[in-house]
Amino acid sequence: MLVASNLRKVFSTVVAVDGVSFEIQRGEILGLLGPNGAGKTTTIRIILNILEADGGTVTYDGEPFSASVRDRIGYLPEERGLYRKSRLLDTITYFAELRGMKRSTARAEALRWLNRVSLSEYRDRKVEELSKGNQQKVQFITSIIHDPSLVVLDEPLSGLDPVHQILFMEIFRELKQAGKAIVFSTHQMDQAEKLSDTLCLINKGKVVLGGSVRDVKRQYGTNSVHVEFDGDGAFMSSLPGVRRAMLFENAAELELVPGARTQELLSAMNGKVELRKFELLEPSLQSIFIQIVGGPAGGAPAAREVA
Amino acid sequence: MIAKAVAVAKWEYLEKVKSKAFLIGLFLTPVIMVAMGVIPGLLASREDTETKVIGVIDPTGELAVPLSKAMQDKYRLSNGEPNYLIRLLRVGRGIDAQEAVSEASRLAANDEIEGFCLISTGPDPDSVVEYRSKAVGDFRIGMRLEETIRSILQERKAIARGIDPAMMRDLSVKLDVKMIKLSKTGETEDAGFERVFLSAYVFLMMLFLLIVTSGQLLVRSILEEKSNRIVEVLVSSVSPTELMAGKVLGLSALGFTQIGFWTLIGVAASLNFGITLIAIDHALLLIMYFVLGYLFYAAVFIGAGSPLSTEQEAQQVTSYLVILLVIPIVLAMPAMKDPEAVWLKVLSFVPFLTPTMMALRIPIQTPAAWEIAATVLLMIASIYGAMVAAGRIFRIGILSTGKSPKLAEILRWAKEG
Repeated sequence: MLVASNLRKVFSTVVAVDGVSFEIQRGEILGLLGPNGAGKTTTIRIILNILEADGGTVTYDGEPFSASVRDRIGYLPEERGLYRKSRLLDTITYFAELRGMKRSTARAEALRWLNRVSLSEYRDRKVEELSKGNQQKVQFITSIIHDPSLVVLDEPLSGLDPVHQILFMEIFRELKQAGKAIVFSTHQMDQAEKLSDTLCLINKGKVVLGGSVRDVKRQYGTNSVHVEFDGDGAFMSSLPGVRRAMLFENAAELELVPGARTQELLSAMNGKVELRKFELLEPSLQSIFIQIVGGPAGGAPAAREVA
Repeated sequence: MIAKAVAVAKWEYLEKVKSKAFLIGLFLTPVIMVAMGVIPGLLASREDTETKVIGVIDPTGELAVPLSKAMQDKYRLSNGEPNYLIRLLRVGRGIDAQEAVSEASRLAANDEIEGFCLISTGPDPDSVVEYRSKAVGDFRIGMRLEETIRSILQERKAIARGIDPAMMRDLSVKLDVKMIKLSKTGETEDAGFERVFLSAYVFLMMLFLLIVTSGQLLVRSILEEKSNRIVEVLVSSVSPTELMAGKVLGLSALGFTQIGFWTLIGVAASLNFGITLIAIDHALLLIMYFVLGYLFYAAVFIGAGSPLSTEQEAQQVTSYLVILLVIPIVLAMPAMKDPEAVWLKVLSFVPFLTPTMMALRIPIQTPAAWEIAATVLLMIASIYGAMVAAGRIFRIGILSTGKSPKLAEILRWAKEG
């Protein structure tokens, strides 16, 4: 559906996107990952033709961008916003019309979606009267109402409460089943892990990791152990066989050197903390991410955001 | 392509027509216009409700008493009480005028008297009479004192020459020179100075308010779309050109709603009260310049507004544009005095000023046909140029946030696109 190859974008002196390539098929969800300022949003803007790339090409079903491509794309930007003083139904209808829908169809679809997300009783309310979560639902509707074949969602789940997150993820899966190609960006690895088929990890404007989630995990398939305990786990990072430890309050994720023996590890912990759980894991995307990017902060200098 | 621009136009129009700012402007402007024209006159012509005490210092000793009598007899309040009571402060030869004045001033300062009349002892006593008061703005007192004293003096002179005062009154002639405006073709137009001045003023103010209100609405809506990033969804749905075309269209529809509404009020008013502010051919010319000015400034506001990101910056930029629009209002008076002046013609050819300058000049003296033709062509060319430049700035500007770009950078966008 969408093929991006060798995209490049420079803002004055900062190279925001540097040779990014990926592709996505219908019925597939691509997770665009990376720390803040890695170039995710810039990449998305290039795909949407909001920004012109300085290099590289994007094709949609094999064609270059054209006015008709616009009507086949849906977009939820990272920063949320709607016309505050306008009414829900009017707002959704307007955005649908801008994507080339007829007014009457747009209205009918808007009502159907409002019903779906249980907002139909608010149809004639002003946007500003709604809670943040409900405003996000409305904006989400505006990005998919015209039945686009490519849906681009920038941080779609951020700021949502768990109930809404579940609703959104449900809709994502439906869209996927309906054969849409979905690109979504996030810096929360657990979301990416739960949702995506394919990954594209960007750091400092470059793709540092790509492929299916399974391949990525296999590639970085070092053993790791998840432990939960009561007590001070600080000693764990210096245990034999531990390459890297991520310590949390009463839990830890330990990455082991190849060939390390978990039985020894377990006995080394015995007596020092009260163990509640000891589990062998595939590496989480989180740990892969940190392994590649180097540290939770990402270490990448924030590229100048040009909205 | 066009369908989307129309969708944008419809949205912009409907959302703004419902906005408070627009409705207030729509209804309040005619009210302000009427108020500006009528209220000062009403206030000035309002009758007093209380008797006013006026002091008199008369070193001649001859005027004070007849003045007092005449003023009390002639001017009455609506309840029949005298409007003015004359208090004789110092009267008679040999009074110390200086001391009398300082005492009277004290009385006036303490509000015991409204003011006082000082009659001079000069060689020609009918020439100088002073009226001193805290409220010299009340020109009616001055006029009435003048009239009364004049008739007393005239009467006295008449008697001195043996003329019957009644005959004297008979012989007096009242005369007004009526100013009548000639049109280009030499026909008379029923328009005096006040009428011409007022209509020039009213149309200028209307054009000014029209451009400023809708310009502000436009800038504010662009800022809103930028600050909550709706603009990203917009430009991923429609091209920037469609978006801008839609905005200009919607805004123009808004402007015409406003002009249409005001014209209706104007027509209704002239039918009801028999006032015609303006001839029909002038009205058509004015509407044409309104439209041209409106479109030109729509482009200017888009170009100036789209690179901004905060309300403060927007206010600053708007206030610069307001200054441009105010210039002709300031020039209204000198333009009245000399409608043929070269500087008026020169300023009419500055695109930023053309619409307002012409709106000012048309009611005063219709500019020559070649001037009208040339300025219209100039405006059409300017609108085209401004729209192209605004489009280029818009395309880049609406996506820039954070620090506003420098003027030089914006000009570069306008040039290179």
